[in-house]
Amino acid sequence: MTNMKPDVSTKKGISAIWIVPVLAAVLGAGMVVFSYLNQGPEVTISFSNADDLVAGKTKLKLLNVEVGQVESIALKEDLSGVEVGVRLNKQYTELLREDSRFWVERVQIGAGGIRGLGTILSGAYIQLAPGQGKAGKRSYIGLETPPQTRAGAPGVRLVLNASQAAIDVGNPVLFQGYQVGRVESRELDEVTGKIKYGIFIDAPYHNFVNTSVRFWDVSGISINASAEGFSISTGSLESIISGGIAFQSLPALGKGLPIKNNDEFWLYESQQASIELTYEHGTYFVLRFNQDISGLEENAPVKYRGVSVGRVVRIMINEFAHMDDRRHGAPIPVLVYVEPGRFGMADSLESIDFIKDEIQENIEHGFRGTLQSGNLITGSKYISLDFYHAEAPVEPETFLNYPVVPTIVVGLDSVMMSVSSFMNKLDQLPLDQTVRSANDAITELGNSMQSMDNLLRARETQEIPEQLSQTLSALRVAMQGISPDSPAYKELLASLVSLRTTLEGVSPDSPIYKDMESTLYELHKTLQNMDALTDSLKDTATMLPRPREEDRIPEARN
Amino acid sequence: MRTRTSAASQQLACCHICLKLAPQDVQDCPRCGSPTHLRKPNSLQRTLALLVTATLLYIPANIFPIMITDQLGTALPSTILGGVILLIELGSAPIAAVIFIASVMIPSGKLMAMYYLCWCAHKGNVKRTKSKSVLYRATEFIGKWSMVDVFVVAILVALVSLGGLLSIQPGIAATAFAAVVIITMVAAESFDPRLLWDEMENTDD
Repeated sequence: MTNMKPDVSTKKGISAIWIVPVLAAVLGAGMVVFSYLNQGPEVTISFSNADDLVAGKTKLKLLNVEVGQVESIALKEDLSGVEVGVRLNKQYTELLREDSRFWVERVQIGAGGIRGLGTILSGAYIQLAPGQGKAGKRSYIGLETPPQTRAGAPGVRLVLNASQAAIDVGNPVLFQGYQVGRVESRELDEVTGKIKYGIFIDAPYHNFVNTSVRFWDVSGISINASAEGFSISTGSLESIISGGIAFQSLPALGKGLPIKNNDEFWLYESQQASIELTYEHGTYFVLRFNQDISGLEENAPVKYRGVSVGRVVRIMINEFAHMDDRRHGAPIPVLVYVEPGRFGMADSLESIDFIKDEIQENIEHGFRGTLQSGNLITGSKYISLDFYHAEAPVEPETFLNYPVVPTIVVGLDSVMMSVSSFMNKLDQLPLDQTVRSANDAITELGNSMQSMDNLLRARETQEIPEQLSQTLSALRVAMQGISPDSPAYKELLASLVSLRTTLEGVSPDSPIYKDMESTLYELHKTLQNMDALTDSLKDTATMLPRPREEDRIPEARN
Repeated sequence: MRTRTSAASQQLACCHICLKLAPQDVQDCPRCGSPTHLRKPNSLQRTLALLVTATLLYIPANIFPIMITDQLGTALPSTILGGVILLIELGSAPIAAVIFIASVMIPSGKLMAMYYLCWCAHKGNVKRTKSKSVLYRATEFIGKWSMVDVFVVAILVALVSLGGLLSIQPGIAATAFAAVVIITMVAAESFDPRLLWDEMENTDD
């Protein structure tokens, strides 16, 4: 108790309470550092617009797992689109590859069905398709349409060129009616003006595709009415509604070679068109028609005795209009394309030369083109080539440097022509008169029949048969009178015998005959003498004196 | 007994619990036995430390989302200020005002007021000490009301829980904000307002 002074602490030390803010600061700084270190990479994705995108809200997803979030949306400097800044979670940095693809997943109603229905509720999100390429890319161009195929899916991508954009992205690619792939993209080639489809064939079905495969469009119902007739072809119900592409291997093209990615094929308009084989080489001819060529269209077949050997390229109306002799009913030129490969000849230039020579030579032997009706319902026509040996030979000629095959009018057309001329003649017949006189004649005939009838009904006519029978019976009695046993017959026979003996008496060997002959000779001689006598008589008659004026005695002159 | 002299100047310490004045030499309150001090020990340092902590916590409380609305699978985080702005845009200005006052003005005002009082006590600034006392009382009174945001979040989280359709989860800022409010209350509690008057006595002498 010596020092009762309390121990008052007056030291101005630092209180332990400062641990609290320090701790808070450390924790806060730790969180900042941690989050900074854990911050994933930021990527910039360009889109044409920022539809359905919200900064700070829209997610970046892969297989519906959130891998990042949109942080900023800014316009590009040239206003050509937007740049979307997306922050990825750090653990997904590896997803950013050279060929990673981004697109906005939103509701899409297309031919392939409805996709992205969930985004109605959850809002749109950016979908990431990981790639295989080099890592480290940070700036991407987003796809405007979702790709149809999972990235890295095994299969093959092909390019189909078509003249019509009849198929939508997402439509199926069918093989034997089974879906083996889909259309991924569609664009109009700015250079060629053709539609370019990108299609993907899933493995393992891509093995069905090789260089001898033909693709065609199975959208809707294809009705084809040509000179060949009607054909209607459809694909599956789904492809009728939504369209699609089918392919098949053409055995005629031989065994195909394997294909690789981005090989190009042509998309035919129909299966029929795809089956038609194409040949590399062909040659042009011109046929000039002096008849109505309605129904002859482009691509109409050109046949040689029914075998298709080519097609009509076009009717040369323009050239026709510029011809000098288009008046006076000049023939209309039609350009045709003939492919020697269709004859079973080699598809080569030599074959073309051969065909040209053949045709030129055969024109002299009646080789002619004719227009034939292929289909009476549609009225379409085709060109037929054949030999008409009765035709007078013509000189080979050319039209605009194309060799010309002369034409004649045959077949249905010629029948039509003769029928029409016959009808004309029929029109000109005096049918009324003819009918009238025919009527008169028929009336007359009726009258004659009537009088004939009357005649037949008359009593005298009725009695004729009876009289005839009486006559016949009298004749029979008479005949019986000269039957072989009757005296008349015997008498007749005796007279005939005596007649024969008489005739035998004057036969050439009989004396009577000889007497007669000598008598006749005598008579002949006598007549000859008589002739001489008459001649001398004529002479002596002139000796008789007869005064004549010409025989005057001439008087003496003084 | 002179007026305007503090008990401390008489070496009398006030018991914190039963408020009995006892001589300073006696370490413990003769009535209830709790330790006595002339002034709250390290009052300014404690208050300041807690204020700094609250200030630090106030940053994430405003930056991070206080509430995450999960609507049909879409998480929609909202910060305090964002919520205020959203409410103004939606045309609910009064509610926006309530939220703004309760969640932004009051906490930040409290912090600034406490800093000011600490600074005054430290410097011995004796001007308008009465109004400073009023400020301190107001700060202490209003502190408990700035929890309105935290309560709103807590109630919403409990009420709005419709599974996939709509559900609300508290964000990290709710925790931080609650901590800010509590720590500022503790800071206000640990501040000894008598410090404001001590200097005046010295100047009077």
